Amino acid sequence: MTTSAENRTAVIKDIVCDILELEEDEVTETSLFKEDHGADSLRAIEILASLEKKFSVVIDQAELGRMVNLKGVEEVVAEAAAKK
Amino acid sequence: MRATATSNGSAPPAHRVVLTGFGVFSSIGVGAAEFAEGLRAGRSGAKPITRFETEGFAHANGCEVVGFEPDRWIRNLDIDELGPATRFSVAAARMAIDHAGLDETYLRERRGLISIGTTDGESHDLDRLVETEINHGPEKMDPVVARRVAPSRLATSVAHELRLHDVEAVTIPTACAAGNYAIGYGFDAVRTGEVEFALCGGADAMCRKTFAGFYRLGTIAPDHCRPFDKDRKGILTGEGAGVLVLETLESAVRRGATIYAEILGYGLNCDAAHPVAPNQSSIARCMELALENAGVKPDQVDLVSAHGTGTKANDVTETRAVRDVYGSEPPRTVSLKSMLGHSMGAASALAAIACALAITNDFVPPTINHRETDPECEIDCVPNEAVEAQLQIVQNNGMAFGGNNAVVILAKYEEQAS
Repeated sequence: MTTSAENRTAVIKDIVCDILELEEDEVTETSLFKEDHGADSLRAIEILASLEKKFSVVIDQAELGRMVNLKGVEEVVAEAAAKK
Repeated sequence: MRATATSNGSAPPAHRVVLTGFGVFSSIGVGAAEFAEGLRAGRSGAKPITRFETEGFAHANGCEVVGFEPDRWIRNLDIDELGPATRFSVAAARMAIDHAGLDETYLRERRGLISIGTTDGESHDLDRLVETEINHGPEKMDPVVARRVAPSRLATSVAHELRLHDVEAVTIPTACAAGNYAIGYGFDAVRTGEVEFALCGGADAMCRKTFAGFYRLGTIAPDHCRPFDKDRKGILTGEGAGVLVLETLESAVRRGATIYAEILGYGLNCDAAHPVAPNQSSIARCMELALENAGVKPDQVDLVSAHGTGTKANDVTETRAVRDVYGSEPPRTVSLKSMLGHSMGAASALAAIACALAITNDFVPPTINHRETDPECEIDCVPNEAVEAQLQIVQNNGMAFGGNNAVVILAKYEEQAS
């Protein structure tokens, strides 16, 4: 899948909002999934699994520690995509 | 079931409940004798999974039962009509009554109970049916397989195979603690005199759904299961069945049966606090409920058979809960899953049998694959080598997703009630 950076950002936001059951305007680049949006470890894994599927990448579960907000997720996905 | 049932004088006369036979299919041994040898030797059931395709998974070890011959045990039913988990439960029930020196004719004249715990039921068959549906359409699904997927059949097929008419047959689906739930259910029925015997235990067969689910959660160990170790990486999925014969002491004595151990009591609770994370205070509370129900004080317990999955979360939470109940010097606390993997619904049933065999044969089974104890797991897990020990009272823990906890207390059988 070839996705431009902006498009990727939008897709990531879409996935996260879908899984955390949020409206797009409720979440910002830096709002925290757990503290601000009530996510737990299972939702985090759901996000990780959805990203792997959507972008055909592999994300090490150790990266979950960085995937605390949209900014963190975008970085991790960008790195995973670069490794493909 | 309330503790007052044993301590309150107005409760109906209670029977003592003893264990007189075991049916065992495990990755480290088939039958009680081989299972006991495996436990004492610290045998590992881990090997590459063969039951389903594991392509695409970076690692795929599991603990499968090797050399299972259902037709040796299942005589009256058509084996093709039984799913793989039901084959295990029926074969283990047959083996248990043989081991107890009981025959079907004798049981048929008495009122009894069959309770079998499970996590997955016949999910292996469901996996296959769904695969067929997706690849070839629903009309290609095998009707024989579709007919056998009901999990209730884990218990009802035991009654069917043994031609028992006056029994309640129930499958208890409380996941990874289900074996202990099933034993508790049978214990109540035998103790109150509602039934003369109970065939209780658990059964599960390897399935891809459960392996993939745990894999996705990041809780499948890459090689071996190392409970309480600082480098533990999770579980290995396993399979098998354990069925125990519970009967009243009077019944066992009357027929001159070998008594392997006594069940003193059990405790159950469900906190529903989190889908998968264990809850320390509720686990501690469940142990207290079991001890109260058994009329046992913590300082009388010689050994804890832990749920001990080998995940980061379980082992820290469970050992802390053990210390909440037992204080700073808890009894030895071992994990049989180090050897057996996580046999799901069968796990606490096999562990209860292991506890009884440890009591009978005077040893503590080890926690194998152990290198260095996690400083956050402050217990003696009996690393790698079994220890000779006289055991009077043993506690068997089972904890399941959703906060379903079940703890059973077993004891050496003494003529004088303890």
